[in-house]
Amino acid sequence: MSEFLNLLAAGLTSGAIYGIFGACLAVWFRVCNVLNLAVGDFAMFGAIGTAWLVQTAGLPFIVGIIVVLVGVGLTAWLFDWVVLHTAFDRGAGAHGIVSVFFYTFGLSLILEGVARAMFGTNVYGAPSIWSGPALHVLDFHVQRAGVLVIGLAIVSGLILWAYLRFTVSGRAASACGESVLGSRIVGIDSAKFRRRIFIMTAVLAALFGVVESPITGYTYMSGPTLSLIGVVAAGFAAFRKPGRAVAAGLVIGVAEAMLGGYVSTSYNDVLLYAILFAIIIFRPEVLGLGPEPA
Amino acid sequence: MTEPAATDRGTISGPAADSSAGLAGGPSGAHRVRLRDPVPHGAGLFIAVAGSLVLVIMDGSYLGLTVTTGVAYAVVTVGMVLQLGYSRQLAFSQSVFMGVGAYGTGVLETKYGFSSLESLLAVIALAAVAALLVGAVVTRAPGLALALATLILPLFIYQLATFSSWLGSFSGIDGVAPFWTGSDYTATLVQTGIISVVLLGIAAGIVLRVMRSGIGFQLMAMAEDERLAESIGVSLRQRRLEVFVLGSVLAAVGGAVLASAQGIVTPDVLSETSEITLLLMVFVAGRKSVAGVIIGAIVIEYLATSTSFISTNLGIIEGIALLVILLVEPDGVAGAISRLLGRRTDQWAGSLRSWTAARLGTRGQGA
Repeated sequence: MSEFLNLLAAGLTSGAIYGIFGACLAVWFRVCNVLNLAVGDFAMFGAIGTAWLVQTAGLPFIVGIIVVLVGVGLTAWLFDWVVLHTAFDRGAGAHGIVSVFFYTFGLSLILEGVARAMFGTNVYGAPSIWSGPALHVLDFHVQRAGVLVIGLAIVSGLILWAYLRFTVSGRAASACGESVLGSRIVGIDSAKFRRRIFIMTAVLAALFGVVESPITGYTYMSGPTLSLIGVVAAGFAAFRKPGRAVAAGLVIGVAEAMLGGYVSTSYNDVLLYAILFAIIIFRPEVLGLGPEPA
Repeated sequence: MTEPAATDRGTISGPAADSSAGLAGGPSGAHRVRLRDPVPHGAGLFIAVAGSLVLVIMDGSYLGLTVTTGVAYAVVTVGMVLQLGYSRQLAFSQSVFMGVGAYGTGVLETKYGFSSLESLLAVIALAAVAALLVGAVVTRAPGLALALATLILPLFIYQLATFSSWLGSFSGIDGVAPFWTGSDYTATLVQTGIISVVLLGIAAGIVLRVMRSGIGFQLMAMAEDERLAESIGVSLRQRRLEVFVLGSVLAAVGGAVLASAQGIVTPDVLSETSEITLLLMVFVAGRKSVAGVIIGAIVIEYLATSTSFISTNLGIIEGIALLVILLVEPDGVAGAISRLLGRRTDQWAGSLRSWTAARLGTRGQGA
């Protein structure tokens, strides 16, 4: 029983990581039909930037977090203003399936390159927000940072779900993803929603990087892997349902931990991805995906 | 939907050709038009001859090795022109099949004593069967599910390679023989490079041949509008599978070339970084241009391995270049050059319209 509970704790922690990135991807895709492949890089900047500002530049921890989050928000705004506004509001450049992946893919490459130039190739971890020994409840052991990660993922997923489902603003944002022209006809500023949610998810990812980095540590190359895992979690939520993406991430994380604990520690990821692959191929209706946007 | 008659598939010799000529001329006339198209053979021959000359001039230098490695990537990207550029098939499995080719070559040569030619042929057959099996299921997946499925594929294949002692774990397989062993290192490098560019020439010829045939127009129609393509008799599932298999086999050949040129296979070839590099080579150079992606693959490989400021900051440069190209010229550097040279960049769309109009029996209305 003790082993099961500890595997569950580890699985929920890693699942929360998958889930939060899935949620960030899903909510923005729902608004503008574009996958944010730079979401992992924003988390990487949050983690490494805060660690660098605190440990090297000597800033207080809270100031370091604020500086990094503001910097990430400004970067996201600048990218939207220069690239996304030009592409989607002015109608320039590539559209269709290329735009789904490759604008944010370009941003990911730039952020990775800048991080390498600024911080080098070292592993960084921000100071722990909630320091202290691991928590013990019966046979259940979990790190404090892990509790924060799981909590942040669940709260973020719930807030995003509630925002899209119960608020007028959320419904307007969803309408932009259904039809840009239709939403504009009824007076919805699709560009505004795209920009706001892009900045919001970038800042959320960066904050998550700060919270999570004491557990895993980050290098300048951590971003693409996190984004890819987020894409997988978002894929199991039809790329449009942030609450379900968090749930999918948690299930994937727990499955990964259980496979590692009870089947094979070496091949747990192989088995997990093979199972996910089989589900996509043989039960695509589980994903709820239709044809890609034209 | 019924499949178009086999004789109809090759009625158009190229994108700029008058589609009505083939149809009016009937199957035999169409066959003559198809056989006369000199571009695929000429392009393949030019690549093989010019590439060989360049490698001979480089005389086994480090630059020559870089070019040969770039040629390996170019074989893959030529297939990606058909998959991603021409058919807009959103599959991200090229690095996996490149790994199939590289690891297949390594295993067959070092563990089973195959010669280079035998291992190359075996790898082509293996990749074709694997692509057929994988493609038969992944090409059924709708829209973004195909992208998602092929994104997951490299994740677990990479993990599998790194944990498998049979595949050499993280250190991979060493001691892969070059395609053509010479009297010394320099001669071996040059001769292996020549075989590589010959394979590239064949790959380019095949892809151009498909692009300039009736099948190429069917693929283009699918890329523009699948319902339109289906309404004019294109078998979507069959064409998707064929494109997937051809692209995957070429990726495996590229992997075999890479293994032969470098003499070692590591899990890096299967990683997401490898897939990212391939995508950049295609999108920056021009996803619809065979010549563009060949030059792009070699140039990007050179930049990635040079020790200058560029190689250090390659990520930033590639990212900015990708964004500028997507915003200014979505057809990449090749598209920009075509525009500068005054060629009509919409000639494919015009050809597609005339071909579709001919298929619908409303010749002259859609052009």
